Amino acid sequence: MDGRFNTDESYRFPYAVRNSDAAILRFPFPFPEDSYMYSMNVEPHVPAGPVASLHHAFDIDEHYVSECREKARILAEDPERCLVLPHMRQAEWDFVELAMDSLSRDYPDLFALDRDGDRWRWTNRPLEITQDFVFGNAGTLPCGPFEYMARQMQGDFTLQDQRDGDLWMDGGMVTSQADWSLKFDLGMSFGQWHAPVPKAPQMGIFDRALRFLLMLRHGHPVRRLNWTMTINPRLDTSPENFTIWGGDRGSVTADNVADKVHLRVELQSLFRLPRSNAILFSVRCYLLPVGAIARVPKWRSRLHRVLRDLDPALVAYKGLDRYLPQTVAFLSRLDDGAVLSPGIQPDTAILIAVDDLVPR
Amino acid sequence: MMMPRSTGYPAVIADVAPVTPTLRRFDIRATAQPFPPVSAGSHGVFAFGDAVRTWKNPYSIVARSDDGSMLRIIVRLAQGSRGGSAFLHGQGRPGLEITVLGIANLFPVVRKARRHILLSAGVGITPFLSYMDAMDGMGLAYCLHHYCRPEERQAFHALLADRDPGRVVLHDDPDTGRLSEILAAEPVSSRLSMCGPDGFMNWVGAVARDVGFSPGKIHSERFSAPEGGAAFRVDLARSGLSVSVGPEDTLLDALEAAGIEAPCLCRGGACGACRVAVLSGVPDHRDHVLAEAERAAGDCILTCVSRARTATLTLDL
Repeated sequence: MDGRFNTDESYRFPYAVRNSDAAILRFPFPFPEDSYMYSMNVEPHVPAGPVASLHHAFDIDEHYVSECREKARILAEDPERCLVLPHMRQAEWDFVELAMDSLSRDYPDLFALDRDGDRWRWTNRPLEITQDFVFGNAGTLPCGPFEYMARQMQGDFTLQDQRDGDLWMDGGMVTSQADWSLKFDLGMSFGQWHAPVPKAPQMGIFDRALRFLLMLRHGHPVRRLNWTMTINPRLDTSPENFTIWGGDRGSVTADNVADKVHLRVELQSLFRLPRSNAILFSVRCYLLPVGAIARVPKWRSRLHRVLRDLDPALVAYKGLDRYLPQTVAFLSRLDDGAVLSPGIQPDTAILIAVDDLVPR
Repeated sequence: MMMPRSTGYPAVIADVAPVTPTLRRFDIRATAQPFPPVSAGSHGVFAFGDAVRTWKNPYSIVARSDDGSMLRIIVRLAQGSRGGSAFLHGQGRPGLEITVLGIANLFPVVRKARRHILLSAGVGITPFLSYMDAMDGMGLAYCLHHYCRPEERQAFHALLADRDPGRVVLHDDPDTGRLSEILAAEPVSSRLSMCGPDGFMNWVGAVARDVGFSPGKIHSERFSAPEGGAAFRVDLARSGLSVSVGPEDTLLDALEAAGIEAPCLCRGGACGACRVAVLSGVPDHRDHVLAEAERAAGDCILTCVSRARTATLTLDL
């Protein structure tokens, strides 16, 4: 992150989102192998990893200012995208502390936190915010503490209460989601909100994941990558707005596939919150058009092989049916069949020029 | 925040005070980074000892100072323990180095409950001292009933002196009829949390079920002080090592002493994090985690408290 932001981007029609070469190379490409199936792909969320987007507790990139503006617009149109149940108040403050501590430590040029006992001053230079407040006193902030901080961060956040040997989604702010609704899932248990996912329950993945998360320790966050695909650089693919974006899935042609079809990756990280014993679930969304992925030879070949061989149940669940053939056709012309290295790292520091991507 | 703290939080004992003849309060001061905030019901695993031996014992965290410089615990002088608590009672003076290896919560407050009834005996009061602070802060309704011996009544009265007298009741007589009345008067929305010796919790649990508390609204925390037993040997299938476990050692301590990175969290048979697969031999289960079917199957063991019925066990380590 070099401190410069693409401040004039649009995540709704008319779409206007740019990715610099640096942003492409730090993309958290989600496929370490040539085929994909659900797995417990959880690892410690430590400041290390094969791409730079994994190197911070909460990743800030060149889209930060534009994404926060888009989030504010969605919340203005639909305030119930942010819902927190009353018993999660301590978890809200846990989140404020974790976010402010992490951002000011990881990006001292952008954020600052000055603490004098419970009198705190928060400075957010990209959004031009300076806020004096009393930690623990919600009346000293312009809105609820969770909402206040989540508005200043890329991605979605949910708060899970832990009780009765289960996790309960009892709060969150969700504006960049892959077709699920906080309004619908609020108050559900771990098993309930995962009920629509195919295959994984039969594989025992959710039972193991819940057991693992119930033991999650403060100071030892974990992460995983999840993925789907989205037409156009649209963060808000919500059920609430399905009528706006759902039809776009029928608009993909051989001529526009490179620009329209985006690989949507969620960097999901989970943090135990110390005061409340709740768990913060952070879902940081990255959108990259397949035309940009094609500029990394390893990634375009791997994406081709994964999509070509994807289980039909996952194709249906992820809603890829209507544009998968065009996408696979585009990528197949760019896959030379070479053996690819395991892992997600791009294996290059230089991107192929766009002009050299013309299909044969 | 991001780096695993395998070395824990270094600290020293700052103050020691008797609570009862068998309970002693220790205030522990951080000597490097401050302690993290702590949720009510949490325990820490504390490492301490002398040149001869190191103990790693779990204790409920009674309180943390707002600035994170201090943690408070209360330790019972237990008969038949492996000696860590006895060491603290005998040698735990200001200045003794003590490391907080980790903090976790296996007994969190159910914040959604309308009302909480807390039942404790002896040292079982420790998690509820943090519960009551948290519940006062959150505005939750609660009542604590603490059971003690008649000769300890004055000491517990002093310990609870600054609490709301309408919310704290001391009993020096375990009267089943009286407990039945107390529990039967609770509204159906109340949650019951209990902590104390096994006999006490079995008694409370039976009375609560008799008056109609649903099992899902009864919460407890049980830690086991690891007790010794016959020496045995473990053969480790993956590393090919053999490790001897002496009569006073725990299996987990013996594995760690042999340089094996064995999983663990609570070190008191309460969380299940140290579960390891048993490939041969018969385990002697002493934990509070495994279901009956898992005990009977005999194919796993919690290394922090359990031992062996056979001379050797083969573990998947």
